[in-house]
Amino acid sequence: MSEEPFDRAELIRYFKDESDELLQQLDADLLKLEPLAASSQADPEIVNSIFRSLHTIKGSAGMLELHDVSTFAHRLENVCDSVRNGRLPLSGNLIEILFEGRDLLTAFIRAGTEGAQAPPSAGFTERLEAVVQRHTRTGDEEAQHVAAERAGGSAGKVRPRTIRVDIARLDVLLDLVGELVITKNRIVQISTMLTRGETADPAGLIAELSTAAALLARTSADLQEAVMHARMVRIAGVFERFPRVVRDLAKSRGKEIELTIEGSETDLDKTIVDEIGEPLMHLVRNCVDHGIESPKRRRECGKEPAGKIELRAAHEGNSVVVQIGDDGSGVDLERVRERGLALGLIAAGAQHSERELLELLFVPGFSTARSVSELSGRGVGMDVVRRAIGRLSGTLEVASRPGLGTTFTIRLPLTLAILGALLVRIAGELYAIPLDAVSESLRLDAEQIERSESGDAVMHRDRLLPLIRGAEFFELGGVPDYSKGVLIVVLRAANREVGLIVDEFVGDQEIVVKPLSELVGPIAGIAGGTILGDGSIALILDPSVMISEVDRGPGSIVVSGTMHQR
Amino acid sequence: MRTTSETLQVVVFALAGNEFGIDIVQVREIDRLMPITRVPRVPAHVEGIVNLRGQLVPIVDLRTRLGIPHTEPTKTARIIVAEIGPRSIGMIVDEVREVVRIPVDQIADSEGVLEGLANEFIGALGKVDERLIILLDVERVLGPEAPADLTDKGST
Repeated sequence: MSEEPFDRAELIRYFKDESDELLQQLDADLLKLEPLAASSQADPEIVNSIFRSLHTIKGSAGMLELHDVSTFAHRLENVCDSVRNGRLPLSGNLIEILFEGRDLLTAFIRAGTEGAQAPPSAGFTERLEAVVQRHTRTGDEEAQHVAAERAGGSAGKVRPRTIRVDIARLDVLLDLVGELVITKNRIVQISTMLTRGETADPAGLIAELSTAAALLARTSADLQEAVMHARMVRIAGVFERFPRVVRDLAKSRGKEIELTIEGSETDLDKTIVDEIGEPLMHLVRNCVDHGIESPKRRRECGKEPAGKIELRAAHEGNSVVVQIGDDGSGVDLERVRERGLALGLIAAGAQHSERELLELLFVPGFSTARSVSELSGRGVGMDVVRRAIGRLSGTLEVASRPGLGTTFTIRLPLTLAILGALLVRIAGELYAIPLDAVSESLRLDAEQIERSESGDAVMHRDRLLPLIRGAEFFELGGVPDYSKGVLIVVLRAANREVGLIVDEFVGDQEIVVKPLSELVGPIAGIAGGTILGDGSIALILDPSVMISEVDRGPGSIVVSGTMHQR
Repeated sequence: MRTTSETLQVVVFALAGNEFGIDIVQVREIDRLMPITRVPRVPAHVEGIVNLRGQLVPIVDLRTRLGIPHTEPTKTARIIVAEIGPRSIGMIVDEVREVVRIPVDQIADSEGVLEGLANEFIGALGKVDERLIILLDVERVLGPEAPADLTDKGST
């Protein structure tokens, strides 16, 4: 495909990428500046950094003739300049105004690059002038609340499909491609010699060929890994939003919150980093809203008035673990039990472990919030968050200790592009099941299957394991043949297990995940496809979706570990 | 970009005795039938997916899509791979005939002309000599709106 050298759309995309980074930097700097407001002493380095970010945005916007953006950035830049040279003292008001200005700037950029409506800014300009004038004269410190509804910025935007890659990583790729070419040349050479019969030592050539093949295998594996690394970005891009979000949320809820962030440098697949923001946001909101108590309540409990939220990311083997923890009141298990009873999710008098009760939080429609808060009560429940994470092949679990706090743990694969999979055959077609969702595979006698109204199940490890017949689930037809036993793959996701009946175990293999065309639309239970060594296609199953479909089936009970028959 | 505004270059194919055409700029390639991997839970007209040099491309049975009774493909059957934006999609047709240029002034609105066909997919009618070619609106046949009928799985 050929592209014009100065493709405006491309430039706009770069501008958006660049300004996204700069806007985050602005947030970070403003947050650093905020505690200094009391002393009116601005740290010149931070102010300079803010100035530079605004200046760069102004310049790039000017080049793209986004005049609204450059004019607005210029206005903010002037204010920073006044702060920088001491004409304008730092104040709480000023910081507030700058935060607001930063949000408006974001809106202007969106208007310029995506054709969204330009935001109204007259009121802001007035307030800005007022603060500048008043403070330049008097240094007044009176608190003025700038009531600005700050949208978190999630309105149906199109994400730029670009990535910044460290040159060093590209150099590794280039080296590997070089090796690949050398090996290819060697193989071509050997093959020519063999075909022409130009050798006295065919056995030696064949040995050389197998050496070259081994080299090829190693180089391509390295290449695969290097490409995967090139796709990885730091989770910092997501984490950096949270100081600002938590600050704003805490203010509006009248709470005091200290946010600690660890492991920002953790690398993760670009796709995952792009998609994980929303679910994380929801969990953090949940901590602010339902986790952390009011300062008054905290003092009564003998805690520090300021609550703590910790956001942490770390590599753990082949996955990345992201944790969001608070030191708030924890989940009230009694209320969870009451609500579970009311919704008919658990039986009266039944014994449930803490873990089982916590699982109820992920049932659609389950919410224990007494007052539906404006922040978390947007009709998005924990089930949606878990499903969003499931789509990224991740898992979400929650742990809670009464009075001490709640911790959400998200476990994500390093990459979505390559995964270990178990290949099985269902109704004649090959399917790949991600290995991290397979807990075991079994061969049983047909008589061991217990039939009931709620579907088939089998006793396994002292528990009733519900069964899905693969061919039936996917409406593929065919008559199952159980004469040689029933083959079952035990799928595990979100603390639940389900047995999938398949026709044949084919083996396990590393697969490269390819998306199914959007033209076919999303298919419930199918996560994508992969191309096997012989060119044939296997569809990749999505165990979390399959399991949740079983949950929604008639008469099934959602609590993990205790499958009751009705 | 179309280079000339006077004629439209069209790939002509046969389907149940009618001649259909697709704007050539939307055609990526034409292939013989190949093994198709079935995909569960898709509308009846989606036959499955194929591996086209490393890309998974969905294949649609154009007969079913247009409401023409499905028949087993014969030896002349081909897959026309069309491009809709960045996505490719293949459609099975009875036979690919030729590429013709249709003068733009020989293209007319199709409204009310055809019976028994899913009219919403017909873009226009073109006339070459005395032949009538039904110009398909590929985006409407295969485009993003198509998955909307994923829900009526029962109609198979």
